[in-house]
Amino acid sequence: MDTPQDPTPISAEEVQLLEVKRIEKQAHRTRMILFGLLILASSLPLFLTLNVPNKPTQATVDLYSTIMAVPDGSTILLQTDWTTSTRGESGGEFEGLMRVLMRKNCKVALYSMSDAQAPKVAMDEIVLTLNPERKLKGEREYKAWDDYISLGFFPNAEGETASMAANLRSAWNGKKYINDSGEPEDVFQSPVLSKVQSITSVPLVVIITATSSFNVLIERLSGKVPIVALVTGVMGPETNVYYSSKQIQGLATGMKGVYDLETMMEDGINSPGPNGKVGFQWENHPPVKGFPGETNYGRGKLYFPTLHIDMALLILAVIFGNVGMFMAKKRGNR
Amino acid sequence: MNEHYAFLKMTAGVLCTVGLYSVLYRENKFYRFFEHVFLGLAAGYAIVALWSENLKEGWYDLLVGSAGTNGHSGPYGHYLYVLLLPIGLMGYFVFSKKHSWMSRVPIGIVLGLWSGQQVQVWWTRYGPQIQDSIKPLLPTVWSPAMKPDTTGMTPALADAVSKNVYLSQAITNVIFVITLLAVLSYFLFSFEVKSKAIRGFSTLGRYLLMIGFGAIFGSTVMMRFALLIDRMYYVWIEWLMNHVIARKF
Repeated sequence: MDTPQDPTPISAEEVQLLEVKRIEKQAHRTRMILFGLLILASSLPLFLTLNVPNKPTQATVDLYSTIMAVPDGSTILLQTDWTTSTRGESGGEFEGLMRVLMRKNCKVALYSMSDAQAPKVAMDEIVLTLNPERKLKGEREYKAWDDYISLGFFPNAEGETASMAANLRSAWNGKKYINDSGEPEDVFQSPVLSKVQSITSVPLVVIITATSSFNVLIERLSGKVPIVALVTGVMGPETNVYYSSKQIQGLATGMKGVYDLETMMEDGINSPGPNGKVGFQWENHPPVKGFPGETNYGRGKLYFPTLHIDMALLILAVIFGNVGMFMAKKRGNR
Repeated sequence: MNEHYAFLKMTAGVLCTVGLYSVLYRENKFYRFFEHVFLGLAAGYAIVALWSENLKEGWYDLLVGSAGTNGHSGPYGHYLYVLLLPIGLMGYFVFSKKHSWMSRVPIGIVLGLWSGQQVQVWWTRYGPQIQDSIKPLLPTVWSPAMKPDTTGMTPALADAVSKNVYLSQAITNVIFVITLLAVLSYFLFSFEVKSKAIRGFSTLGRYLLMIGFGAIFGSTVMMRFALLIDRMYYVWIEWLMNHVIARKF
């Protein structure tokens, strides 16, 4: 009869390895719970109608005033350096800006210095989101060539922007736009650019960006033409210095910037609404009209409450994490 | 647009979103597949855009000219533009050990053009910021401590009130200038700093930098959340509610 043998003894190293694996498994589980909570917190509020009170900042007040000061029907240049990867912030900025420009019948020449896909993303927003919205309200749809034109992607931002500053017509010489019948046409034949002679004849350059591409724009164009920027939260602190030193005339940053813009589109600045009351007051600022009752609110108002809930979850996680670590350390010391 | 096509496009977007977020669970082949699809599409799109939106219009069409239409002659070809091709191709010799020196020719041209612009560019970028850093540190008015509300004042009076430096503004300016100088002193690497005072000041600069980085990190986190919220909106509202449940496809 076989005698039972002792199990093979486990070495200290193997014990340590098992302990590491156990801790890793536990950390993985905790991480999964946190991710699950985050996805819930980012999803559920989207089904509810939540409102967060908002007071726009000085930078976005200046941004809105500058955009509204552009003469109706004029052509602006729009450097659109964002794609769907930052649609949460940049998409809201683009939609808000375009709604204002469309109501002012402004013509838009858009291009990108940062991403080959960016002009297509911007045009899709106009065709698939903004035009159907206007059509539904019985308003005129914005037409490519007549109202807006894409100049495409310029990979050499520094050289191209310097050329634009020196001679806009020469910089875009030879640029073609493929019309509906498939024929290439010179972009300067378009009603958008036919009257534009130089960068100084443009009333405003707008940049919507998720990268630091605004650095090149400011280096080459600042002082020659008014510039406003709509940037993501990440780029906000870096762009803010340009606003403080008045190198750009207005700035919207991240989700808050989108909500600010939407708030002023609804209420204007020191402008009485249909009920005679001023919706948004800003000290010592001339009245700037809004568009009360129009489609003003979009991603800003929709996402802002959800963002607050996510931030609350983050703060709670940081507090619980630190308390847990403190208690674990205390247990270990004892 | 065909609604079936729109639905298929949106469903592909949802699959990509789920595929890419699956890395949160662990590294997996599903994630890898969508990562490669994303990179492949981006690279392919960029190559086509580079040709169709830049090289063709800005170089090839000008090089070959055009025959013209309706009996009118088109623009003549600028044949000297062909010289740009070998210069550009020299850049690819960076991959050859023997001929890598040739890649320095286009790099040198680009660097030369870039350097020529830098003095003006530097000043346009940083000049106004340096100017803006020079701020009044002493208040011109001691009372009230904060700028009064100018609502209802005449423009001339409001302008006069706004030109004053109030105590609160002076304190803000002092904090700004101390931060600026302390952070600058932290980057004194060219010589050994022996003075205890300057070393203490640069330590303060390090802490102030950390506060700044913390604020930037906070903005970054908020942006990441905004992107997640938008993806959730796309999956739950735009795709599920508006297309699947509303049966728009």
